[in-house]
Amino acid sequence: MLKSLLIVDDSPVARMIMKKCLPAEHGLLIYEAGNGQEGVEQYQTHRPDLTFMDLTMPVMNGFEALDSIRSINPDAVVIVSTADIQEKVIQRVKDLGALYTMKKPPSKKSLAEALERGEEALSRVQQ
Amino acid sequence: MNSAEHIFSTEEKDILQEVMNIAFGQATAELAEVIDIFVILSVPNIKVVKGRDLPNYFINEMDGSNVVNLIEQNFLGKFSGQALLIFPSGAEKELIKLFNQENAEQSYNVDMDTLEQETLVEVGNILIGACIGKITELLSDFVTYDPPRLMIQDLSQSTPAQFPVDEDSFAISIRTVFRFEQQNVEGYLFLITKQRSIQWLKKALQTFLESFM
Repeated sequence: MLKSLLIVDDSPVARMIMKKCLPAEHGLLIYEAGNGQEGVEQYQTHRPDLTFMDLTMPVMNGFEALDSIRSINPDAVVIVSTADIQEKVIQRVKDLGALYTMKKPPSKKSLAEALERGEEALSRVQQ
Repeated sequence: MNSAEHIFSTEEKDILQEVMNIAFGQATAELAEVIDIFVILSVPNIKVVKGRDLPNYFINEMDGSNVVNLIEQNFLGKFSGQALLIFPSGAEKELIKLFNQENAEQSYNVDMDTLEQETLVEVGNILIGACIGKITELLSDFVTYDPPRLMIQDLSQSTPAQFPVDEDSFAISIRTVFRFEQQNVEGYLFLITKQRSIQWLKKALQTFLESFM
């Protein structure tokens, strides 16, 4: 069962929208990071069950952060959250180990699906 | 410029920034389908600038490229303004390759200068339309466009009066750098919206945010 979530996005509004779209009474412990580098640091410290990762960010972009997180933990469950859903972007993040790419802006439905898929992935790696 | 900076609250700027992030991201994905190449966008940077300060502002923002191709297109709706797409001089020779038209001179029986200029205008039309279209869609508006115009400008020689923006207006400058991976071309997109759009924009931003509550 998912217990913790890390949201990596340079936009405080994007992080706020994402939290608002989470199912009511989700009970998750939520960590936040404002760029890729902070995201990697937060991941290393808290080892969240699921990470949502934006791509276009200052300091360190989401591709690099995803790569670093998967180097720290090859089983890390990371869902990329971006408006830029170019095929090459989707393929690149898949190659880097992302679970899948969720289109921005999120909705309650897309977040519910993300949590479900994240939980399934986590169960697989824990087996 | 300081007083102009206070037109938007920090929260409004944050919302605007996120709307631009989403809009430019979605526009990029659609563009990549049209021209079948990988487009990389930078984080949009939002500033409020006085119209008369824009030429200097552009010089500072553009890493010293003074002679530029400037594509201007007006858009009209509740969100109205001008989009200025700026490519450093010489970018047109790379851009034309995006359309695989290196031998187009013979095919279309036009000279290369004309073809390069047409390419700039078309790329401008696509980029501006995609970005503005997504922004207005997110903010539930609808805009119409004037045809794009191409100007070649030496920014260092431009006086505010020569610049295609009203000197006394406040301009919300939304700057993003985009790069076509294969062609190694960088361009800068600035959206300049006038004061009368600002009140509408503030409301639309709040409405956008409330739609997630």
